[in-house]
Amino acid sequence: MKRIDLFLSERELNRVCKAITAAGAKGYSVMRHVTGMGPSGEISEGMDFSGLGANAHVIVFVEDGVLAAVSKALKPLLKRYGGVGFVSSAEPL
Amino acid sequence: MQSSLVLQNLLSAPVLFFFLGILGVLVGSDLEIPSPLPKLFSLYLLLAIGFKGGMELAHSGLGPQVLLTIGAAVVMSLLVPLTSFLLLRLRLDGYNAAAIAASYGSISAVTFITAESFLNVLDVNFDGFMVAALALMESPAIVVGVILAKLSAPAEDREAAGEQENGTDLENGGGSLRWREVLQEAFLNGSVYLLIGSLVIGYVVAAFSPAGLEKMDPFTEKLFYGALCFFLLDMGIVAAQRLRDLRQTGAFLIGFSLLAPPVHALVGLLVSALLGLSQGNTLLFMVLCASASYIAVPAAMRMTVPQANPSLYISTALGLTFPFNVVIGIPLYMALTRYVIPVG
Repeated sequence: MKRIDLFLSERELNRVCKAITAAGAKGYSVMRHVTGMGPSGEISEGMDFSGLGANAHVIVFVEDGVLAAVSKALKPLLKRYGGVGFVSSAEPL
Repeated sequence: MQSSLVLQNLLSAPVLFFFLGILGVLVGSDLEIPSPLPKLFSLYLLLAIGFKGGMELAHSGLGPQVLLTIGAAVVMSLLVPLTSFLLLRLRLDGYNAAAIAASYGSISAVTFITAESFLNVLDVNFDGFMVAALALMESPAIVVGVILAKLSAPAEDREAAGEQENGTDLENGGGSLRWREVLQEAFLNGSVYLLIGSLVIGYVVAAFSPAGLEKMDPFTEKLFYGALCFFLLDMGIVAAQRLRDLRQTGAFLIGFSLLAPPVHALVGLLVSALLGLSQGNTLLFMVLCASASYIAVPAAMRMTVPQANPSLYISTALGLTFPFNVVIGIPLYMALTRYVIPVG
């Protein structure tokens, strides 16, 4: 099983979540209002009223066979709208 | 400029709260507005101003002057980004010049609302149809900005974009998807949609169900000033935070963000005089021409011109032009208006 961690603007959250489910993932978890420091500088909630504020953190667990489809769906979205994604191995308890 | 106008503006509650927000950041206060609230207040302000504008529009009707003024506003939102782009291109690459030009061609609803409050304090009348001009000026500048960015893109970028369009691997939309998104962002972004929707509702209620206006009054009228103060407190905090980013902009952009507003306002004054607008409407028209967008345009540019640096177009519009207009610009434009436009 693989774990995908995505960090992206909340503005594009719906689009990304739709792509995740359309690619075959059974579910995902979302944490909003994520602040911190990214490659383009500090990420704050300061512009939340415009949708340009904090990021969202999306966690997806997928079977190995689905990873390629989810990855293919997400890569162009992350490239176009900004955001990063990381894949790691996961073991169910 | 009449010093009483400046003082009147500086000592108004919304501007004082704006300074309070700036000061809070500068002195390192831990003052923080929980994140959903500024969004709620911005939506409230758009709803209230749209509703009141629609109500006034129903009373004034759609006469030739109304249509001419709205038409002139749309023309200004096309011309300002074009002229700004030519100037900005002297020092910046095409992407950044286009994104900043789009910001200055579009408008700031909060600056407009602050100008309306200023007119209310001075007891100067203005018409509700100016809200229609506000709503219609936001979108054309976004479209012009995107076109300018595409036209000024380096040849290799254009080729790459062409290949991507042929590949059409993104949401099965390819190249057409990008334009659909541009137009959707330009004409259906949250602020434009809510503003136009509230305008229509205000118009319909005033025309067909006037009893409903009284019920809305406590919400759209009595709460308005307090909500504006609260929102400007938050805007002060955000603007002060954005001041840090100005280190990236350099003297040219700082000069542009402080000089473009009065120049655009002067053009607005000339147009207003030609259209025969009243003093109140002239001030609002000048503010529309002079303000820069830091909500709708950055959202659209981030999606459609990702090569442009948001620190440049957000920090200039929000960190410099917005405070300039709110603190100095509005009373300055009013003084000019009084000088040129006769009372009547």
